[in-house]
Amino acid sequence: MTVLVPLRPVRRWIHERQVSHRERGATLSNLYVAALLIAVLGAMTHRQLAKIFWPDRPDLGALPALALTLLGAGFLLMAMRAAGPVTLGRPAAYFLLTAPVSRRRLLLPSLRLAALAAASSAALIATAIAGHATPRDVAGPLIAGGALLGVGLLLIAVVAQRVRGWATVTDRLATSVAAAGLLLLIVDNLVVADPPAIDGWPSSSVLVAVVGSVAVLVGVGAASTVRGLALTPDDRVLEAAKTTGTIFDTAFGMEPSFITDMVARRYWTRRRLTSTRPPARLPVLTGQDFLVARRRLPRLLWLLAATPIPLLLTTAPAWVTGAALLLGAMIAGGTTTATVNTDAGNPVLLRLLGLSSRQALLQRLWIPGALAFGWSLIALVLMQVAGDLPAGPWFLLSVPVGVAGGVAAVRRARSGFVRNDLLPLDTPMGTVSTGPLVHAFAGPDALILGIPTLIAISQETPLTATTLLFQTALALIGARAYLAGTTDPERVELQA
Amino acid sequence: MADHPAVEVSDLTVSYGSTPVLTGVELTVPAGTGVCVTGENGIGKSTLLRCVSGLQRPDSGRIRVFGAAPGSSPEFWAAVVTTVEPPTWYPGLTTREHAELICRAHGQDPDEAGVDEALSRFGLTGHADAIPPSLSSGQKQRLTLALALLRPSSLLILDEPEHRLDPDGRAAVAEMLADFVATGGSLLMASHDDKFAVASGAELTTMESLVA
Repeated sequence: MTVLVPLRPVRRWIHERQVSHRERGATLSNLYVAALLIAVLGAMTHRQLAKIFWPDRPDLGALPALALTLLGAGFLLMAMRAAGPVTLGRPAAYFLLTAPVSRRRLLLPSLRLAALAAASSAALIATAIAGHATPRDVAGPLIAGGALLGVGLLLIAVVAQRVRGWATVTDRLATSVAAAGLLLLIVDNLVVADPPAIDGWPSSSVLVAVVGSVAVLVGVGAASTVRGLALTPDDRVLEAAKTTGTIFDTAFGMEPSFITDMVARRYWTRRRLTSTRPPARLPVLTGQDFLVARRRLPRLLWLLAATPIPLLLTTAPAWVTGAALLLGAMIAGGTTTATVNTDAGNPVLLRLLGLSSRQALLQRLWIPGALAFGWSLIALVLMQVAGDLPAGPWFLLSVPVGVAGGVAAVRRARSGFVRNDLLPLDTPMGTVSTGPLVHAFAGPDALILGIPTLIAISQETPLTATTLLFQTALALIGARAYLAGTTDPERVELQA
Repeated sequence: MADHPAVEVSDLTVSYGSTPVLTGVELTVPAGTGVCVTGENGIGKSTLLRCVSGLQRPDSGRIRVFGAAPGSSPEFWAAVVTTVEPPTWYPGLTTREHAELICRAHGQDPDEAGVDEALSRFGLTGHADAIPPSLSSGQKQRLTLALALLRPSSLLILDEPEHRLDPDGRAAVAEMLADFVATGGSLLMASHDDKFAVASGAELTTMESLVA
């Protein structure tokens, strides 16, 4: 019979060894820097934060508040499912998961941390919604209720991690809840325009009683979940440990491609593909991108669901709507650009194909451009139908926006890894690494080709033929210049 | 192209820092023949192949591939296939689609080029719908070689093609390489398996013998 080894002394031993290698006062110093950063950022942005979380008076109706609640709950559940939520550090997964220690004690700290994160995130979302939609006297219980709801969602995610049948149901539920929230927002924006509801709320004491009941329910659920924690299968814990490790690698290395690579790898590993041929008339790499786009139907559906975002932002400053349109086009164009990323990172396959970098890039621009065009066309038509744009054939701007979005998506994919060899900038708030900043702007910077669209939307005046012509010419000339300036018919390599 | 040797290397010198790896290397691979370089680990076989492929710049020396300096031009890569670098795979494409892509990029009809036969000969028919990252390391090596042999080329530069292959796989690959050389192709490879190299129709030479 196996004897369980007490876990606490093992963890204490590991902790002591780790501490002995750390510089004296390093933890305090890190805490000090984190607190200082929060204080400085808070001081700089407290007005904007107050607008987001706690406006002077409620300005949101019940319908949009419900929609935002559904959106928040849906995305929170998706995030928890993606993270695990029961996880371990990579070393612990390697050394302790296979050791004869109490599985429940091993996993409990990560569950506690996840509960804290879920409650904090949900409380933040609840604060923003309560601040915008409810009278001040009932906001407190609602925020507490939001935090409890966050923990409740975490418990669902933990069970889904353990039981495969629950996993599918939970993932579909999270997607449906978020989609319902988005739909309600669109309905409110286009049809209902629900005014702020100050009256009709239950009294604070009633809400406190309801929240108390929810707390009891969540407490019982938590106790039951902790009791069954040891039943979480090893493969799920290992997968979550890899995810957590990759997130930490990305955070410490300031290298977002670690996460995007992991997500793409898992997506394609789960898929069951059947070999098929692209239309023979398409150029070879365009045909390949066409196949990839067809296989990414879930992403295309999400993109379709996101087309009303510029419309939903029409209450924000007009330039925000324009920027959302351009960024949305770039993200839509990025559906197939993992192939460009592959070629830019390692040109082995391009050498095998024997295509020049110019041929390759030209062929790779078509599908991203078409997707960006389609996305911006729907977004502009929605805005025009809702009456949020002045007179003029705004939908025609989708052609140049598609070109700009396609170029930006391809440029982003060619940017490769973050360069950490660039000179840092000294600022009053400390030293800033320029590599991640440069990397973050590689791609979005090409959206400069859509500046006339941004200005036209910002001015809120009818669209003129001159603007349309100028924007189209700028996008086409810019795309041509990008192609000619960054590729060579005598070179195979596709690096930016 | 036929007037020149497939590969001509003279007085090639490469160092990593203060460590010399290749010093005064001389090598000629006549067109339509095969040469296999053997030698212990770290002696510079892969470095030599990388230099001949134009993927590494030597400190000094002269390299000619079919009479011209190796380059990164599409023309060079239309004639030369190399496996000296580990491959990456396009996300979302199956094994078969990678093979068809290579054929189409070289103007070949995938059916006429023999994609099915190639996958079958390399034991990959059952994995035609799998994505390459899900294959085992040996199967990936088979796929790499299948893609290299599927497309038209004049020179194959292969770094340990027998690596990770089982005995049957080695015999099959050696036979295909011998066919390639017999039909006028040129072959430069590095290997630790003399039997495999001889079966591939390549003349054996050691790294030591290449130093002038």
